[in-house]
Amino acid sequence: MNTVYYLIMVPMVYLAVAVCLIGVIARLIALGRAPRHPHSLAIFPQRGPRFLGALGDTFGMPTVRRHQPLLWFFLLLYHLAFLVLIASHFDLFPGIRILPADSPHMIGAGAVGVVLTLALFYFLIRRFRSPIREITVPSDYLLLLLLLFLVLTGSTISWANSWNSEAGGFVITKQDFGLYLDGLARFRFEDPREVLYGSHYIVVVLHVLLANLFLILLPFSKIMHTFIALPMNRLRRGA
Amino acid sequence: MDATQKQELRRLFASRLTGAVRMYLEACTHCGTCIPACHAYASEPELRHSSVGRAENIRRLFWRHFRPQGRLAGWLNEAVELSEDWMEKVYETAYTCTGCRRCVTYCPFGIDTQQIQSIAKLLLIGAGREPQVLSMLADMSIAKGENVEATKASFTQAVQGLEEEVIARWRSEAGREAIPIDEKDADLLYVALAGKHSIIPAAAIMNAAGENWSLSYFEAVNFGAFVGNPEKTREISQRIIDEAVRLGVREVAICECGTAYRVMKFMMGELPFRVVSFVEVIARYLREGRIQIDPRKTEQRLTYHDPCQIARNGGVMEEAREILAHLTRDFVELQPNRVENWCCGGGGGLVAMGEKEFRMRSARVKAEQVRATGAEVLATACENCHTQLSDLNEHYALGMRVAFLSDLVSQALVASQ
Amino acid sequence: MGDYSIAKTLDYKGLPCPMPVVKISQDIGSVDVGEVIEVLTTDPGSLADFPAWAKTSGNEILETQQDEGTIHIFVRRVK
Repeated sequence: MNTVYYLIMVPMVYLAVAVCLIGVIARLIALGRAPRHPHSLAIFPQRGPRFLGALGDTFGMPTVRRHQPLLWFFLLLYHLAFLVLIASHFDLFPGIRILPADSPHMIGAGAVGVVLTLALFYFLIRRFRSPIREITVPSDYLLLLLLLFLVLTGSTISWANSWNSEAGGFVITKQDFGLYLDGLARFRFEDPREVLYGSHYIVVVLHVLLANLFLILLPFSKIMHTFIALPMNRLRRGA
Repeated sequence: MDATQKQELRRLFASRLTGAVRMYLEACTHCGTCIPACHAYASEPELRHSSVGRAENIRRLFWRHFRPQGRLAGWLNEAVELSEDWMEKVYETAYTCTGCRRCVTYCPFGIDTQQIQSIAKLLLIGAGREPQVLSMLADMSIAKGENVEATKASFTQAVQGLEEEVIARWRSEAGREAIPIDEKDADLLYVALAGKHSIIPAAAIMNAAGENWSLSYFEAVNFGAFVGNPEKTREISQRIIDEAVRLGVREVAICECGTAYRVMKFMMGELPFRVVSFVEVIARYLREGRIQIDPRKTEQRLTYHDPCQIARNGGVMEEAREILAHLTRDFVELQPNRVENWCCGGGGGLVAMGEKEFRMRSARVKAEQVRATGAEVLATACENCHTQLSDLNEHYALGMRVAFLSDLVSQALVASQ
Repeated sequence: MGDYSIAKTLDYKGLPCPMPVVKISQDIGSVDVGEVIEVLTTDPGSLADFPAWAKTSGNEILETQQDEGTIHIFVRRVK
């Protein structure tokens, strides 16, 4: 079993990051090299600078705000929280300092996980109702479930590592994760078990497994919208 | 469906896979924001009448035939193989979409269902399942171009027969033809439809403005676009382009016809002349004081339907309001209007196809929107919308008069003070 | 006018685009092969539309006449 844990925690992480990066870049190149649409796809009236407008459309989602305010609220919350989440994972690396080095907390101190969980629950539950139910395909549910479990395991770890040893609680701290990630970044291929010695190591392994899966699936899924929402919005703005 | 036909349809599908269309097919998150955008869905809430419902029929084929994940794990996106049965479903959703692009204004990414539907229409042509009346019209339009010399003389004679009616609306200067044709060095080439109602009011307005214009031998409408055939679309428009170049005009004005305007303005690439809609021409004349209209001639309460291809997809919205402000003192906007206006429900070839039962059913929301204004005159600037709105007027007993903007203007022309 | 008798006269005056051609393509079926329909219209565009339609549909335009703003088109059903 330890070998399986090791494979997930080290080699598979490299594999996942490589598949994700190469997959996304290859996909973007393929889309960029596809023939240009023969005519304008603009919607009128066109006001203001095109690129800024497209940026606003992409990040502010004004069409959703207008037509589905509740969905918009959760979408905005979700995407903002996701950005903080990415930042907070970078913050784990010892070389990157967003919070003070000795801070025991992730950025947001657990709130990010709660927000993401709530939003994901909302996204999932709205899919059970008509007419969204009828347009939902298995990959929509599976991606939501994957993200939900990813966030739940992450929140569990975050909760656990906020317990310090004086309080008699968990022992894997934020700094320990920093050592693990530092080892990955420096290609040391050490067994993470040596720095992550808490009893809930299995949750960490699960979290990393789900994260790996997420990264591997990303270039082949609708999550590619992360990269192509802006180009699509530029087309609507007449680019 | 045999392998050869499947291969052929796959080839047609691939010919439409531009970068934009690939993104539209790959990125939809099934958020459902677009669902209420379609007038057909708003009138009859069935998923096949929604933007995403229509697009999925094509998207599922795309996953299966163009992406590895669709072949390896098609069930994830419910990918489907090309088949006779599936083409049946494609037919059902291809010709219930009017191509109005209202849904583009709902989607957070701006996914353009009209472009996805154009794949559907192309596949149907490839499978020999397109509505026969539309391909008949497209073939006829092309045959007309080949035959133009033979009919020029009788066309000119028929147009001369209309001059009296033009003069009845506006007596032009002595020595000037009321409807000039083949006028070398004209400034403006006016492209009309077959009917005299698209020639007479425009002629009167241009004569009143002292325009140096010429009437095109060709019809503005492009049935190639209705069928969804890019080659035919280009061939049909090319005749007008050649004529404009031969006459050396600076500007080509397209009559009140939405498709014709959009195709000529946006789909023909760089042209050596400006393309404008006749609505823009009228607004310019009013702005420059070249024509005067008497608002007392249109005393009834007036509302205006923005044709999708001219307003949302063409950018001509405020020009219509400028004209309306001169035309009447009792103007009331439809709600919603401009970019958000409901489609009339007759676009995309539906009017030509007949389909009256569906057109009336799917445009219930349009009829209600119009009725709510309490207007007596419903103006518009598109032949197709005019026909559909007239049918709605009758079917829903709206008790209105449906009129072209150009007609209202030409009836209210007065000599400048 | 040529040597033929008219089986039917149809009034297409004032129809919106593209109805005259759509209607003739439907109405042609209402007469027998060889018979002639006279179409009345006021649309100048019909003068180009009908021959083009006849060419693509395999029917025949015998002649067109114009008087006082009305256009008469004589269509023979060939198939």
